[in-house]
Amino acid sequence: MTQALERSDYHRKQKRFAHENVTSPIKKGIGLASFMHGSGFTGSGEKILASVVGVEATSGGLVRILAASTEIGQGTNTIFSQIAADTLHLDYDSIEVAQPDTSQVPNSGPTVASRTCMIVGKLVESACISLKQTLISAGLLKENYSPTEFRKACSDYHQKFGPLKLFSKYQQPPQIGWDDVKYQGDAYGAYAWAVYIAEVSVDTRTCEVQVKDFVALQEVGKVIHPILAAGQIEGGVAQGIGYALYENVVWKDGRMANGQMTNYIMPTAADVPLIRVFFEEVPYAYGPAGAKGIGELPMDGPAPAILSAVENALGITGLNQIPLLPENLMLRHRSSR
Amino acid sequence: MSGHTVRIELTVNGQQREAQVHPMTRLLDVLRENLRLTGTKEGCGEGECGACSIFINGELVNSCLVPAIQVQGAVIQTIEGVSSSKKYGSKLHGVQEAFLGWGGAQCGICTPGMIMAAVHLIENTLDPTTITENQIRTALAGNLCRCTGYTKIFEAVQKACHLPGSKA
Ligand code: FES
Ligand code: FES
Repeated sequence: MTQALERSDYHRKQKRFAHENVTSPIKKGIGLASFMHGSGFTGSGEKILASVVGVEATSGGLVRILAASTEIGQGTNTIFSQIAADTLHLDYDSIEVAQPDTSQVPNSGPTVASRTCMIVGKLVESACISLKQTLISAGLLKENYSPTEFRKACSDYHQKFGPLKLFSKYQQPPQIGWDDVKYQGDAYGAYAWAVYIAEVSVDTRTCEVQVKDFVALQEVGKVIHPILAAGQIEGGVAQGIGYALYENVVWKDGRMANGQMTNYIMPTAADVPLIRVFFEEVPYAYGPAGAKGIGELPMDGPAPAILSAVENALGITGLNQIPLLPENLMLRHRSSR
Repeated sequence: MSGHTVRIELTVNGQQREAQVHPMTRLLDVLRENLRLTGTKEGCGEGECGACSIFINGELVNSCLVPAIQVQGAVIQTIEGVSSSKKYGSKLHGVQEAFLGWGGAQCGICTPGMIMAAVHLIENTLDPTTITENQIRTALAGNLCRCTGYTKIFEAVQKACHLPGSKA
């Protein structure tokens, strides 16, 4: 919290805006939201799903990850390869990720619920550890090995025993408990935590709100890939800005009446400020290299932060509906005067 | 689309190409279906998202809104021509390098259009190193992206403005 307040210059800006707003038709405001998002399925979800991940090594020492997670640009293949390379002390380039076709790969569950990194990534890590252990206990590899020795061990293994394929199945960390009857207990194994601070300007003539600055500070455990992780946050925040200010789903007779880009308005390059992303890293014991979930977190914070910034700008309270379209704000602003 | 077809001749990425199509076929479909240049994407099909951006005679245009008959004899450049044009040899364009290096692409649907828009801005600016963040925003405002929040795209384009591979 302290860091987010400092990075956004929260207190000084609040004072300065209060002073400037008196004479300007464009009112500025700053607001914050502190929140968390659970990683992985809720309650017993992960236990019931009991996801499985496999790794196989070819006789040439190429490692293939067998998982059902889908790469949709969020970086799954990159981080899985990083996790495997790191665990096996190999080059990133000697890792391959199989296509997520369940006739070829085990069921590691759906690509949802901020679970790919923390749950499936952890299984990648543990399957790689089993792979390494198998080669070591077969007497083909020493504890400390070079990539060349690893390749040699894989080739020897194939000659002696045949294909080398290991699987790892999800096991719930012992301290987590969820009661499915009483619906009580630990809803999630871990949470990602965040403080988001939005700065807005509100034109009191048109009631148009613009987001001028956005600080997104979060703790998602260990960050596996800084560029991809920041990309997840920035994308989520931009969606959150749309959620807060523009994206209005109009239902008519059970259908969406504005299902076109012409009338369903999402933020453009002109609407999104430079999103400033910061990570606090507190490794989580049951995530791969200490990582937790990240994907959904950034959707939760922008709307409350932006609405509270608008309240701050206009000196009102009780804004509790999104999207905060100019016409809605205008009604609200007029009635409060 | 039924009815009679016409023969369209055009220059695409420096090559003479032709297609026998209905005159109102969208240029986007001529490129993707007839010429098998699938780098250009369809996002909305209604001129809102910019995923289908290409150059027609050097102008940045949404190819989903252009009927084939309108490009008879035109010079067209698509994303496939950005890296392979003679000007750059077989190397990637500076904008492409920058997108790769600075995380400018996630799912990739908006990427070809974004790159076309950024290339258009850079190549039409005498000294790309003077391009400001605001100019980049304006230049990319017609290209929607759902994944990146634009931040990494702005950063990539800013970097590209200073890369040697971006000079016109
Ligand atoms: S597909 Fe042409 S603008 Fe969206
Ligand atoms: S990268 Fe997915 S829409 Fe831009």
